[in-house]
Amino acid sequence: MKAKTSDVLEGLRDFWREFSRVKSGLVGLAILIVFLVLAFIGPAIVPFPGAITHWRDITFWQDNSLGAPPEWVNALPWVRQKSAVTALLSPSATQDSQAEGGVTIRTFSFRYGYSYDVPPRDIVLRLFGTGQVPVVISLTRPDGLVAELYSGQLEVSEGNPQRISISNDATEAAIEFVRSHDEQLASSMSADLVKAPSLLFSRLDSSILDSPHALKGAYTLTIKAMLLNDAVVLPPTMVVSGKVSGLMGTDLSKRDVFTGIVVGIRWALIIGILTSIITVLVGVVLGVAAAYFGGALDWLLNRLYEFVYLLPVLPFLIVISAIFKPTIWTLIVIICLFFWTGPYKPVYSMALQIREETYVEASRALGGSRLWIIFHHIVPILLPYSFAVMALSIPAVIVYEASVSLLGLGDATIVTWGQLLHDALGQGAVINRLWWWVVPPGLMIALMGMSFAFLGTALDKILHPKLKTR
Amino acid sequence: MFRTYILKRVLYGILMYVIMVFVYSALFNNVADKTLRSQIEEQLSQAVRLQRNVTEEQLRTFIATRRQEKLNQYHLNEPLPSRIFWRAVRTLQFDYGNATTMKASNGDRLVTSIILEALPRTILLFTTEVILTTLLGVALGLYMAQRPNGFLDRFSSGVTMISNGLPSWWLGLIMIMAFSYGIPLFPSGGLHINPAPHGWPGVWDYLWHLSLPLITLVLLSLWGTAYLTRNIVLSNLQEDYVMAARARGVAERRVLFGHTLRTAMPAIMTLAVLGLFSSIAGNIIVEGVFGWPGIGNLYFVAVQQNDVPILTATLAIETLFNMVGFILLDIIYGLLDPRIKVGGRI
Repeated sequence: MKAKTSDVLEGLRDFWREFSRVKSGLVGLAILIVFLVLAFIGPAIVPFPGAITHWRDITFWQDNSLGAPPEWVNALPWVRQKSAVTALLSPSATQDSQAEGGVTIRTFSFRYGYSYDVPPRDIVLRLFGTGQVPVVISLTRPDGLVAELYSGQLEVSEGNPQRISISNDATEAAIEFVRSHDEQLASSMSADLVKAPSLLFSRLDSSILDSPHALKGAYTLTIKAMLLNDAVVLPPTMVVSGKVSGLMGTDLSKRDVFTGIVVGIRWALIIGILTSIITVLVGVVLGVAAAYFGGALDWLLNRLYEFVYLLPVLPFLIVISAIFKPTIWTLIVIICLFFWTGPYKPVYSMALQIREETYVEASRALGGSRLWIIFHHIVPILLPYSFAVMALSIPAVIVYEASVSLLGLGDATIVTWGQLLHDALGQGAVINRLWWWVVPPGLMIALMGMSFAFLGTALDKILHPKLKTR
Repeated sequence: MFRTYILKRVLYGILMYVIMVFVYSALFNNVADKTLRSQIEEQLSQAVRLQRNVTEEQLRTFIATRRQEKLNQYHLNEPLPSRIFWRAVRTLQFDYGNATTMKASNGDRLVTSIILEALPRTILLFTTEVILTTLLGVALGLYMAQRPNGFLDRFSSGVTMISNGLPSWWLGLIMIMAFSYGIPLFPSGGLHINPAPHGWPGVWDYLWHLSLPLITLVLLSLWGTAYLTRNIVLSNLQEDYVMAARARGVAERRVLFGHTLRTAMPAIMTLAVLGLFSSIAGNIIVEGVFGWPGIGNLYFVAVQQNDVPILTATLAIETLFNMVGFILLDIIYGLLDPRIKVGGRI
């Protein structure tokens, strides 16, 4: 038994020695490892960790910007107007002071360095705590002016934070702020047309309406909360919802595309690997059985092969999906029903040759049963080669799932790259030129397919000597 | 001997096709029956409207007998296996009936005319694609085989791998964003501008609309053919007979086209023939992306509208074409490889 393990180890070492010489195989392996790592730790490192369960939950994404390009667009040399970046801030200072009558006033201040040309779309504040809390919110600008944004009584309870959006709740206040410094300017403004952030983050001069100049520098937003009775006020959060957002921007449901991409890795891997394992096992077993037993089984399986081979795969898959509305697992089963034909034919013809080898004959003469011969002499030779076939079939499987999802016939409860593209296409991402929504999912599909294709050809080169180029 | 082989192969093919049509018939049986029944009722109510000067009683017997006639005609009164059988037979006779909801542009509801309207468009795009891909791919493959390890050769193996797992519809989306909206060189979709111009301007307009989808498809599928050609030709260039031919002073051009390309022919033929025959199915998503109203588009609309007669007909026709390609290929193999002719195991 011991000798056997060392044999296996020796074999693996030999295999690795050969494999490490094929450069494309190494590249494929490296990409695949990155994907695997991301599939496991990805959900923890993405900007929105709750996304897996909340992908289609509108309120989960409501603080984000709508259809914002990626952040790095700012760094492009031809982009003159740098847009504010989406950021999540927590209070930089907390201070308690006593007001008249012994009431405690708690002041939270956020420091926000603004160095962009295009103001954020919105600033969203969230107040946590319990009880009735009178609140005053104000913004101190780099030019020393102070804008009162909000004052009122907020009712907060556990799990029900109050949400204040500057764009929605402070437009009047922003106009009032302009009026207090320049009455004439404010008289031409209407609350329906101006946006609060654009007033607050611009220089106060006559250009503010038509072509505002950004006022860059350090802003301080303060929230003063009065602690009445036994009200509890916890540190609030501030979300600057910028015109550019994250690594890959946001879609038209305000969702972070990068988060969707990372979450989708796991399904692409599951679909690809699971389907190929099943199809290879089925294909090898059927191929060997047909070749070894021959006769009626051979005839029947070959007709079955032809049958499946002649079916138009995608049309058939679409009809089945439309009729049965499959979950991802049934979709995998259906795809398997088509793809076992991939390894079947090569395995079949190889098994036909092996059957006639002298060592198989010897084994038979020594009294080896059919199953013994199949599992000890034929399958071990075919299995490694089948892995190459398997790796090569994964890209097609991933593309098929994406195609079915793109048509809106996939499993709508999970996040796959095909689903991302389905949403993008359905909501007019192409016409609106939201390239950051369309390009990444497709690139990921291609990259995933490429890594398996590299691996497959590398395995093929090693395990199938005929194909060695020279 | 060869004749028996062909005959056997064709008969096998027909048997297979019949079986597959039966499977389609069984799959769609439920919906198809409903469709047919409602069509019969529709015809009946039309016929009733045409009846004048008849009593209530006469009208009722008229409806009853006509309904019975129609139900008998389509075998709808019979048990399930029989219904499946007769629908399959109708499909095998190319009698696809009327579509449930869809219409041809001239208002015709006959499935055959609806499909015949979409088919030329699909052929124009996808069959042209296969032809272009084969020609350009072989040329590119030969070029690379002559310069192994050159820049293009190394570049191509990577591109082949990528194109392998790249959905063509996604590349289509990118191409539209880049060349219709970014740099407006091509229209973003459709067959022609509205209204369609006549004469030569019409032809130009058609070609202009054709170019972006065609470029996209060829750009993606070219590499597979090129890589295959390159691999086979390259491995053959090392063979002794090539060296012998070169030593005899055979021109390099002849060596390439006469000797080595010939050995690559079966593999290239396989790709090309199967591609040609399956190209009539179009591509559901690519046609959707480019707004190209061919067979694929027709099929998807039929799926959405649950138009079973169209679905059955499209699937049957696609299967038939696949089958013809398959058989043709086997016959060509037989011609190319004498061992097959005499009935050796394939």
